[in-house]
Amino acid sequence: MLTTSLILLPVVGALLVAVLPLPRLTTAGLAFLVALLEVALWIVAAGRFDFDDPALQLGTSREWVESLGISYTVGFYGFSLWLAGATVIVCAAAIGYALWVGRDRPRAYHALMLLLTGAVVATFAAQDLLLFYVAFEAMLIPLYVLVGVWGGARRIAATLTFVVYTMAGSLLMLASVVAYGVTQGTFSLQEPGTSANTWIFLGFAIAFAVKAPLFPLHGWLPLAYREAPVEVAAVLSAIVSKTAVYGFLVIVLPRFPEPVDDFTGLILALSAAGLVYGSLLAFRAPDLRGIVAYSSLAQMGLITLGLFALNDLGLSGAVLQSVAHALVSTTMFLLVGMVERRCGTGDLDALGGMARGRPILATVLLTAGMIALAVPGSVTFAGEFLIMTGVYAEGWGYSVVVALAIVLAAMYTLRLISAVLHVRPGPAVRDEALDLRPVELGLLLPLVACLIALSVWPALVSESAFWRGTPAAIVEEEP
Amino acid sequence: MTYGAWICLLSPLAGALAITLAGERISRRAAGWISTLTTFAAFGGALVAFGALWARDHGDRQELSTAYTWLSVGDFEVGMEILVDPLASVMMLVVSGVGGLIVWYSMGYMAGDDEERRFFAYMSLFVFSMLLLVQAGNFLLLLAGWGLVGLASYLLIGFWHHRAEAVAAAKKAFVMNAIGDATFMLAAVLLVWETGTLEYLGVFEEVGGLSDTTVTLVALGLLGGAVAKSAQVPLHTWLPDAMEGPTPVSALIHAATMVTAGVYLLVRAHPIFEAAVEVQQLAAILGAVTLLVAGVIALVQWDIKRVIAYSTMSQIGYMFLGAGIGAYGFAIFHLLTHAFFKALLFLAAGVVIHHLADEQDIRRMGGLKDELPRTHVAFLIGTLALVGIPPFAGFWSKDAILAATVESGGALGWTLFLAGLAGTVLTGAYAFRLYFAVFHGPRGEAAAAHAGHGEGPRSMLVPVGALAGLSVVGGLVSIPGVWHPFTSWVDETGEPLVEPVASLEYLVSAIAVALGLVGVWLARRAFLADRQLVTSPEAWRVLEHKLYFDELYDALFYRPAEAISAGLLHNVEEPVVERSLDEIGSGTIQAGGGVARLQSGLLRSYAVAVAVAVVVLVVVFVAVR
Repeated sequence: MLTTSLILLPVVGALLVAVLPLPRLTTAGLAFLVALLEVALWIVAAGRFDFDDPALQLGTSREWVESLGISYTVGFYGFSLWLAGATVIVCAAAIGYALWVGRDRPRAYHALMLLLTGAVVATFAAQDLLLFYVAFEAMLIPLYVLVGVWGGARRIAATLTFVVYTMAGSLLMLASVVAYGVTQGTFSLQEPGTSANTWIFLGFAIAFAVKAPLFPLHGWLPLAYREAPVEVAAVLSAIVSKTAVYGFLVIVLPRFPEPVDDFTGLILALSAAGLVYGSLLAFRAPDLRGIVAYSSLAQMGLITLGLFALNDLGLSGAVLQSVAHALVSTTMFLLVGMVERRCGTGDLDALGGMARGRPILATVLLTAGMIALAVPGSVTFAGEFLIMTGVYAEGWGYSVVVALAIVLAAMYTLRLISAVLHVRPGPAVRDEALDLRPVELGLLLPLVACLIALSVWPALVSESAFWRGTPAAIVEEEP
Repeated sequence: MTYGAWICLLSPLAGALAITLAGERISRRAAGWISTLTTFAAFGGALVAFGALWARDHGDRQELSTAYTWLSVGDFEVGMEILVDPLASVMMLVVSGVGGLIVWYSMGYMAGDDEERRFFAYMSLFVFSMLLLVQAGNFLLLLAGWGLVGLASYLLIGFWHHRAEAVAAAKKAFVMNAIGDATFMLAAVLLVWETGTLEYLGVFEEVGGLSDTTVTLVALGLLGGAVAKSAQVPLHTWLPDAMEGPTPVSALIHAATMVTAGVYLLVRAHPIFEAAVEVQQLAAILGAVTLLVAGVIALVQWDIKRVIAYSTMSQIGYMFLGAGIGAYGFAIFHLLTHAFFKALLFLAAGVVIHHLADEQDIRRMGGLKDELPRTHVAFLIGTLALVGIPPFAGFWSKDAILAATVESGGALGWTLFLAGLAGTVLTGAYAFRLYFAVFHGPRGEAAAAHAGHGEGPRSMLVPVGALAGLSVVGGLVSIPGVWHPFTSWVDETGEPLVEPVASLEYLVSAIAVALGLVGVWLARRAFLADRQLVTSPEAWRVLEHKLYFDELYDALFYRPAEAISAGLLHNVEEPVVERSLDEIGSGTIQAGGGVARLQSGLLRSYAVAVAVAVVVLVVVFVAVR
C-alpha cells in the first residue's frame, strides 16, 4: 500500500491543486506541502524497508487485464527505493523553488509538477512492463507542457525537439513492450524469462539512451536544459534521466542477456565517448546552464559505464552515482537559477565577482561545485571510484577514460565557479544583487546536507542498492 | 591511544564547522582563537597517541581503529579507519604542532582582513584534511585526505578572490593535482582487482604475489599522485604560482605540510615501491632533477616568496631522493626539519611583507636588519638551516640523505650524490642572495616609502621564535654515531634499504658544508659587486621563463583541449546534433501555418510519429515471428 500511496499522493495533490479555487500563493503553498508530505511518506517507506531482503518489498499486485497478462504490480528494490527517494527530494526542492519565484498560472504549473512527481515515482515502482510504459509516458506529457509554456524565449523549438526525440524513443519502446509481452505471454517483471531478440532489446535500449540521454542521442538536451524553467531543467537532468538507469537495471540487463552481451562493447564505447564529449563541451560552453547541461550528459555516460560493467561494483557505483548526481545536479541548476534571477543572464562573460559580500552564495556554490567535480572524499568520488573499478573488468581503457574525465570535470567546474564568484564583478552583476535569501538557502540546504551526509557515509546507498551478499542478482554472471 | 588519534583528527574539523556555522555571530578574533585552539587540541591528541605508542613494546606499535564502514559493495569494504603507527604519529605531531603555530601567527597576520572568519574556517579544514591524509588506514581514505587538502589549498591560494592572478593560480594548482588524483585512483583500482582490499596492511601482504607489470603500474600511479602533490618535475609548475595565497598559507600548506605529502606516500607505500624498483628509482631521479631545476630557477627570482617556494621544491627533491633510495627515516627526518625551517622562513618573510605593506619584490627591499632585528635573526637561522650549516636543523637531515646516496652506490647512487652536492651549492647561493638582498645593503625603496608595521604583534613573534628555536635544535634528534632515536622510530614503519655508517656521514657532511659555503661565498661576492649570480643574459632569460615549462604545457595540453572543445562544438554539436531536427521542426511549423498555429504543428508531428511507430511495430512483429 505504501508504494501505491507514494504514487497516488502527488496525483491526488495535483487534482486538488488544479481544481480548488485557491489564491495564487496558497495554490503553490498547497503543492509544496504535498511535495513535503511525499518526502515524509518516503521516509516512512524507507523505515519499513528491509535492506537485507532481496525480494520486492512494500509491493501491491492487482490483476489489470488478466487475459493479456497485464497487472498493476508495484514495489521497490533497494536501488529503486533510493531512486524514488532522490525523486521526492528533488521534486520538493523544485516545487519549493517555483513557489519562491512565483511561476505564472500556478494551478496548472503546480498540478503538472505534482503529476510529474507521481509519474516518476510510478516509473521507479512499476513491476509490469505496460505499467512502466504508461508511467514513462505520463512523465513526458507534463514535461512537454512545462517546457513549452513556462520556458524561455526559444521554448517552442526546445519542446518540439524534445517531443520528436522522446516520442521516437517511446514508440520504439512501445513496440518492444508489446513484442516482449506477447512473446513471453506476460508483461509482469516479476515473472522470470529472458529474450534473445535483438530488435526488442534495441527498442528498449534506444528509448532509454534517448531519455538518459546518451551520446549521440542527446540532440534534445542543450535546448531543453537551456529553455526549460530552471527547476524543470533540474528535474529533467536529476531524475527523469534516471528513469533510463532504472530501465536498464530492471529491463535491459536482466531480460536480454544475449543481446546485452553483443552490444556491451558498443554501449560502453558510446558511454565513454559521451563522457569525454560532454566534459569537453562543458568546458567550452559560454553559459552556466550549458556547463551544467553538458556535465549531465557526461555524468550519464559515466553512470552507463557503471551499468554495463555488469558487475556488482559497477552496478552499485551506478546507483550511488545516480542518487548523488540527482542531488548535485538539482543544487547546481537551482543555484544557476538564483544567479540568473539576480543578473538577468547566465552568460559567463557578464558574470563574476559575486563572492564579495555574498558569503552564503559563495559557500553553497563552492560546496556543491566541489561535490560536482567529485573531490576525493565526496559521495560523487565514491561513486566514480566504484564505477571506475567496476568497468576495469571490461577493459582498462574505460577506467583511464574515467580518470581523464575527472581532470576535465575539475576544469569545467572551476571555470563555472570562478566565472560566477571571482575576480571583478561582471557587467550584469549589480552591487545591490543580494546574497542568498533565507528561503533560497532553505531550499538548497537540505540538498547539500543530503550530499554531505552521503559523503560521510556512502555505504548507506552502495551496500543496500542490491542485496548484501548477492548484489548482482539482476545480472547472471559474477565478476 | 586511538582516542587521542581520533581527537587529533576531529578537533580541527569541529573548529572548521563551528566557524562556518557561527558566521557573523562570533567576532573575527574569536574565529581565530577557535581555529588556533582546536589545532593545538589536535596537537594534544597527537601527543597522547604518540606517548601511548612510545610506551608500547617495539614491534607492537601499530593499531588500526575502524569507526564504521565508509564504502562497501558485496565483499569489497573500505573502512573509516585510522592507523596509528610510528610514521603516522610523527606526521600527526608535525602537522598539528607546526600547524598550530602557523594558525596562531595568522591571527596577527590576517588581522584587519575583511574575511578573517572564512580564512580560519579554511585553515581548520586544511588541518583536518591533512590529518586525515596522514592518519588514514587505507588507500581510499588517504586519497580522500589527499583530495581535501587539495581543495583547502585551492580555497586558500585563491583566498583573495578579487585578484585574477590568485584565482588563476588556485585553478592551476587544483587541476594539476587532479591529474595526480586521477593516476592515484587508477592505482587504487588496480589494487582492488589484484589484492581485493585497499587497507594498507592487507595490500602490503599481497604485494609479493603481484606480477611485475601490476606492481609497476600501481607504483607509477601512486608516484603520479606524489609528484603532483609535492610539486616535483614534471607536475611542479603550480607551486610558484601558489604564492598568490596569504603568507601563512604558503608556510603551512606549501612548505611545512601538504607539499610533503608525496614523501609521506613514498614511505607509507614503501613495500609497493620496493617491489617496483624502477619506479622507486624514478622517484629518486625526479627528486634529483627537481632539486636542480628549482635551484637554478631560484637564482633569478625577484619575489621573496617565490624564491622560498623554489627552495621548497628543491628541498622536497632531496626528500624524494632519500625515499627513492630507501632511506625512509632520513627522508622523514628531512621532512621534519624542513617543516621547521621552511615555515620559519615563510613566517619571517611574512613579517617583512607585513612591515612593508605587502611589498614582495626584493629589488625594492634592503637594509632591513636594523629595522627588524629579531626577524633578521630568525630569517638568518632559517637560511643557515636551509643551506645545511651545522648545527642547524637542515644540516643533520640533508647530509644524512646525501650519505645514503653514496651508501646505495652504483652509477645511480653516485649520480644522485653529485646532483645533491650541486644542489647544495645552489642552495647556498640563492638562499644568501635572498638574505643579503632583503636585510643588507642600503635601505630599499619600499622600506623608505612606508613607515612600516614593525615586527608585528606577539601572536606573530612567538610562533616565529618557537620555529627559530626548533630550527636550531630540531636536528639534534638524530646525530650520526651518537644517537638516532628519530630515524629508528620511523624505521619501525619502513625498514631502510640503506644505512650509511657514521664515518661516511662525517665525510659527506664535510664536503656538503664546504660546498654550501662556496654557494654562500658566491652570493656574497655577487652582492658586494652589486651584480647578479647569473650574468649571461641568455641564461637569465631562460631561467626567468622557468625553463619554459608553462609555455610547453600550454601548447601541449591547454590549447589542444580548448581547440578540440571548440572544434566539437562548432563542427559536431551545433551542426549535426542540435540541428538534426531543424528540418523536421521548421517543416511542421510551415505546414501548421506559422508560429501562431503551432499547436496544430505539434499535433502533426505527433501524427507523423504515430505513423512511424505503426510501421516500426509491424517490422518488429514480423521480426519476432
